[in-house]
Amino acid sequence: MRQRALETVHKLAKKDPRILFVGSDLGAGTLQSMKDELPNQFFMEGISEQHVIGFSAGLAQEGFIPFFNTIGTFLTRRAYEQIYIDIALHNLPVRLLAGGGGMVYAPLGPTHTAIEDFSLMLSIPGLQVFSPADAHEMETLIEASINDLRPYYIRFGKGGEKIVTSSFEIFDYAPRLFLTEGSKTILCTTGVMLQQCLDAQSLLAEQGESATIIHFPYLNDLEISNLLELFGKSKNIVCVEEHVPRGGLYTQLVHELVRHRLPTRNLSQISLLHSFSHNYGSQVDHLEFHGLTGWKIAMRVISILKEK
Amino acid sequence: MTINYVQLANEITLDKRSKDLRSLILNALEGGGRGHLSSALSLVEIIRVLYDDVLLHDAGDPWFPQRDRFILSKGHGCLGLYAVLADHGYFPLDELKTFCQFDSRIGGHPERFTLPGIEFSTGALGHGFPVGVGMAMASRLKNEKWRTFILMGDGELNEGSTWEAAMHASQHKLGFLTIIVDYNRAQASGPSESIVSLDSLIDKFRSFGFETIEVNGHNTESLLFELQKSTQAVGTPRAIIAYTIKGKGIVSAEKSPEWHHKAKISVDEIQLLRMEIET
Repeated sequence: MRQRALETVHKLAKKDPRILFVGSDLGAGTLQSMKDELPNQFFMEGISEQHVIGFSAGLAQEGFIPFFNTIGTFLTRRAYEQIYIDIALHNLPVRLLAGGGGMVYAPLGPTHTAIEDFSLMLSIPGLQVFSPADAHEMETLIEASINDLRPYYIRFGKGGEKIVTSSFEIFDYAPRLFLTEGSKTILCTTGVMLQQCLDAQSLLAEQGESATIIHFPYLNDLEISNLLELFGKSKNIVCVEEHVPRGGLYTQLVHELVRHRLPTRNLSQISLLHSFSHNYGSQVDHLEFHGLTGWKIAMRVISILKEK
Repeated sequence: MTINYVQLANEITLDKRSKDLRSLILNALEGGGRGHLSSALSLVEIIRVLYDDVLLHDAGDPWFPQRDRFILSKGHGCLGLYAVLADHGYFPLDELKTFCQFDSRIGGHPERFTLPGIEFSTGALGHGFPVGVGMAMASRLKNEKWRTFILMGDGELNEGSTWEAAMHASQHKLGFLTIIVDYNRAQASGPSESIVSLDSLIDKFRSFGFETIEVNGHNTESLLFELQKSTQAVGTPRAIIAYTIKGKGIVSAEKSPEWHHKAKISVDEIQLLRMEIET
């Protein structure tokens, strides 16, 4: 996903001199092809997130579209005020490409896991927050972003995710529907958790149950006006996200359901805990621990349906 | 021979224009009933010289692309900037009286989207320098000639982002970038040396790769001499350490730290301050 994102920035930069890539000591060889071909549009700055966001804002103020990539935690925690003031207050077209969303960097410990990034970023007025599910969706999102001069925050997954959104040719900010007619359950999700939800959908089908999935790659305004009937009829809505319980997709979804006067009694959540993890291991280990893998999601759905 | 810039800054007698600008500052202070007075008084001559003789700017067309960029990174010094901008016709002088009022265009910190001529909204410290580095880079990328000037407070130098930006500015050889430090050596809690000493400030900037200049920050001729020096797009960024007096030109503000920021200012207090400008 990250690789595709950076390649897309390079591809677009060839045609549009406004587009710049800015990195923060991302390692030797990062986007070397762009560095070689477009040296004036490539900046590998130091480990100075506060400065680099201000620097990007200054460039954007003068008409450039900087894509700034570093680890998500360093963006959202270290440089929150710079994002808030330098970028969002000035409504500048800086694209924050946040590596290692969720528990991707679990082996590196709690300093590196971006588990509350949606909450932090969604609290900033005007900042547009995205969590694509795979490299295809990432590419279409970055392509679409060139026509929108608002500031963006885009969460990356680990990379190598199976392509599951290829049926959606363009990025139109709308939720993605993976419909199973007549299903009692809706799985609402975002980002790479779509992959786990699709696994859960298959596992449920093997058990004689079915689920519809709604993937929200764009988190600011959940456009559910075309889905009201679906939500209204559902007996079981489960929000699945690789994020702390509050401030992310679940919170956004509750707001939208209430705004449309839909009941929330059938809504439940599977998420990360709001705590510092002192375990290491892999991202999958942590998804398993929190009930966020496909089979655990499926088991939870069956358990909820049995309780009803 | 070592020059005692603090003594020079103390000794200088302000001319009529500097006194008039201070009167405008008091008009705003009276209208708002609050404000960072002494922080603004230390930078009046710096901003005056920039707008009178150095910056390429046009009050009638504040956003024309070839203008020089000026960021007041110590946004709390905005009373000084508002006075100079109003004096240059960016907005009516009478509007100074609306300072900090609900529907005013001039708030306690300057905002780009409310007032033409404010290049970047500031208030939280340590933001103007990194943004200015980006602007200076943009000027070079576009092969343009406009320059970027950033006025910072010395207390603001406590922010780590300052030194991040300084490293990157010299790394990129941003010759069209000039940092001016309003070196009044006082912060909200007292003398800077009692909080975070800025001893050898000139050496600090020099070691970060800047061309460094010391100047009496209330001497308009010295300021003009240093600020109007020609620079190159690819070159050494400059740091001008302007020795100033916090509260300069109004005795009470010079003597009492309470004027760093004061609220609920009475009409009688304003009257006293006005009288002190003339003495």
